[in-house]
Amino acid sequence: MARPVQFFLNDRLETVEVDENEILIDTIRERFRLCGTKEGCRTGDCGTCTVLLDGRAVRSCLILTCAVEGKHITTIEGLGNATNVHPIQQAFVDVGAVQCGFCIPGMVLTAKSLLDENHHPTEHEIRIALSGNLCRCTGYEKIIQAVQLASQRMYP
Amino acid sequence: MKRDTVIGSSLIRPDALAKVQGRAPYVADIKLEKRDCLIGRALFPPYAHAKILSINTSRAEALSGVEVVMTAKDLPGLNGYGAAALDKPVLADKIVRYQGDPVAFVAACDKKTADKAVALIEVKYEPLFPQTDPKENLKPETPLIHEDHPMSKGTNISSSWRVERGNVIAALSRSDIVLENDFETQIVDHAYLETDSCIAEPDPVTGILHLITQGHSAQLNCRSLAAAFGLPHSKVHVTIPIVGGSFGGKEDSNLEVSVMAGVLALKTGKSVFCEYTREESFRNTGKRHATHSHRKLGATKEGILTAVAADITVNKGAYRSIDPIPQRMTMYGGGVYRVPNALVEARSVFTNQVYGCACRGLGVPQAMFIIESQMDDLARRLNMDPVELRLKNILRDGDTMITGQAIKKSQGLGLEKCIQAVCERIGWDKPLEQSDDPSIRRGRGIATIMYGTGTGYPTDGAHCFLNLQMDGSLMVGIATAELGQGGIIAMTQIASEAMGIPYNMVSVNYSDNHSSPEAGATVASRSTVFHGNAIINGCNILKDRMLCCAGQILGEDPRDLDIREGIVYTRQNKERSIPLTEAIKFAFSSQVPLTTTGSWYPPLNHLDPIMGQDTRMHTYTYGAQAVEISVDIGTGIYTLDRCVSAFDVGKAINPMCVEGQIEGGVTQGIGYAMMEKFELRNAMAVTDTYHTYLIPTSMDLPKLETILVEEPNELGPFGAKGIGEPPVTAAAPAIRNALFDAIDIPFYSLPITPIDVLDAIKKKKSPVVNRQERAATKNLEK
Ligand code: FES
Ligand code: FES
Repeated sequence: MARPVQFFLNDRLETVEVDENEILIDTIRERFRLCGTKEGCRTGDCGTCTVLLDGRAVRSCLILTCAVEGKHITTIEGLGNATNVHPIQQAFVDVGAVQCGFCIPGMVLTAKSLLDENHHPTEHEIRIALSGNLCRCTGYEKIIQAVQLASQRMYP
Repeated sequence: MKRDTVIGSSLIRPDALAKVQGRAPYVADIKLEKRDCLIGRALFPPYAHAKILSINTSRAEALSGVEVVMTAKDLPGLNGYGAAALDKPVLADKIVRYQGDPVAFVAACDKKTADKAVALIEVKYEPLFPQTDPKENLKPETPLIHEDHPMSKGTNISSSWRVERGNVIAALSRSDIVLENDFETQIVDHAYLETDSCIAEPDPVTGILHLITQGHSAQLNCRSLAAAFGLPHSKVHVTIPIVGGSFGGKEDSNLEVSVMAGVLALKTGKSVFCEYTREESFRNTGKRHATHSHRKLGATKEGILTAVAADITVNKGAYRSIDPIPQRMTMYGGGVYRVPNALVEARSVFTNQVYGCACRGLGVPQAMFIIESQMDDLARRLNMDPVELRLKNILRDGDTMITGQAIKKSQGLGLEKCIQAVCERIGWDKPLEQSDDPSIRRGRGIATIMYGTGTGYPTDGAHCFLNLQMDGSLMVGIATAELGQGGIIAMTQIASEAMGIPYNMVSVNYSDNHSSPEAGATVASRSTVFHGNAIINGCNILKDRMLCCAGQILGEDPRDLDIREGIVYTRQNKERSIPLTEAIKFAFSSQVPLTTTGSWYPPLNHLDPIMGQDTRMHTYTYGAQAVEISVDIGTGIYTLDRCVSAFDVGKAINPMCVEGQIEGGVTQGIGYAMMEKFELRNAMAVTDTYHTYLIPTSMDLPKLETILVEEPNELGPFGAKGIGEPPVTAAAPAIRNALFDAIDIPFYSLPITPIDVLDAIKKKKSPVVNRQERAATKNLEK
């Protein structure tokens, strides 16, 4: 059964007709063609599909699109663009935290959600926050450094 | 003129910004722009070994939205493809050899319809006994997995190798100490985050089939697949956009979805997209080979190694894929040590399970686990410090490996420096602080490794196209895949330095078999060296031409000229200079070509195939890793407290990328040691999600401490050696040795999970003591 859903996607009010069992990642990728939200597993394990729901990092493969009625969804495209780079993104670039990049949009959004709540997280707190986002390339070392650098730059 | 160099500088990679912003398109993202692309899906069998009695596709075909259903009888070309042998069927015909053999393909308007159609296909099977034990499959009376294999005739052996040197039997009988152990290593998955995917687009005008896909070499993908499409290589156009991780897997595992997309596209005349689900990627695609080794190590009572004898059996799985595993495990059979007598034999054996393919390290993670574990057993037997034992035996300038290859300092030999560096950083000489908690035992372990740069095949070499532009910029066509390692930035830096132009004037066209020549694959830790050297060679050719032209303009001997930052200048008088663009314009109007091919081949490997004596790799990367762990003897849970790694990379072209390679590789090694295990029941995958197949998270790791050692390789670009795979190989033995130190229990199989540790503690008769307690007891005994 298709039904209309209204929500804010990167601060724009959108209305879509979706099946009740459509999941948010499909809505984002297939309907809005926002390809920054990645699908690594579709089982809620990897974190590559992370988006912000009212500012908090969630897995878009575990959320029904119907359930985001009236909410604010931020994807990686909503965080910055080529001319306006978000400081967290810049920190990831500067320390060399990006390898294959497939986990990175999810990591950046998880970091955003963490830093919004906790401006000066310890290394341990960063590790806890990122532990649901798998990365097979980096060993997380430079990703953690990037979050630390972003914290210093954003909240000196 | 200032001698600025980009070599050794951590320039920001060009792909980084697009990736952090989600703007970098992977294959599945490119598909989003192709609205009318069909979706291809496959039916996989519910058995690992079975006869196919009949297939009925009529109900699937009748479903609305289904474009085509294909079985083995509908194929356009050979029913076989593969990277080394065309032995993997496009579609299973009569027989299923493992659970990933597709039985039918469907192309439909969308995924839902395609999946529905797959479910409507009716297949009758006669299940056969899955032959999963390689040792059994070696017996002559065992049925063949392949009745008619293109390379392995009348045997279940996929490949085999032996290395023989000196007289092992005599040497072992004369040795003061002989250790003898059996080692097992497990199957692991690459677990790259981006699953396997491919878009195939037939061109109705040219007849070219275009594959937008993943891989380690566009040319290799083409060669592996063309026969299955019934097309000449020139009509299979492969482009490889950025890849979401691979680690060897997508060298040929990705061919599974590529061949499916390709044959469906040829059949329908339409574009087709195929993508594995995570579960399919886990179940079907290649893995790191499981191995069993029996190894004897001889030594004098002073701790000098005398002989090694090893017999190694590798579980190949159902198809050959990439299989130098026996060769690698034998050539490295002596580890990083001088061992005058050796007999190491290995073979890989077909079984009815998921095939083994290249997996970051190609047999060396397995080999180093065995060797380095046994070194610590020997140190214990001799009551000698493990580092002291290693330093007594490591290869030094002029020493030979068991393959007879002499190790040369001129090719970079930083082994001892790596060992010293990690020992110093971790404080090897100081006693390890123990915990106040009575249930915690702490331990420290070390491992040392070496790893050759290149495939070692006589055909190994690389070519590139260089195309100098009128504005002094340079286009580089090099078939190097950007798998995340930073290949594009490394190639850019090398071209910039070699041509003498700013790095932002270089553009690298990577991974397109129609616009760049054969370069060998981005594998075997070879791209920086092989591709880099080919680019330098091409730049030198162009540079010579431009210097001749500039010489004529300036009235100078070209041998007195050089190029820096896009300026041609006279060495003696820097003021006498012209912009490179002047020389290029002069060249163009004098019909001097602005394009060239650059090539590089390493020195030829002279091989004695009977004794396995050769000079396979032109250089080796060396490394050492030291770790500290804490073990809770009540639960078996152990944590990695410190992990210090040093690798001799010759020259780090981009140190930030090199560190990234090391940190990521070390982490995969830690996963290999502590948690990763791909499990099968009746040859069917059990661990097919990320919650059953565990890989390290940020919580499983300590801060990773990395030290770069640079002992230049005279044949490398600016001294560089390979660093892609070496970092994976040391963690497992280092952690195993730390456990031995902490709880006095030696492990001989991987992974070593907390359950294994707890089991071993429970079985142990004597109390669990660590090194210091052991030393104290020894003193008391005295
Ligand atoms: S795709 Fe959603 S958690 Fe992996
Ligand atoms: S950068 Fe490749 S998975 Fe994280």
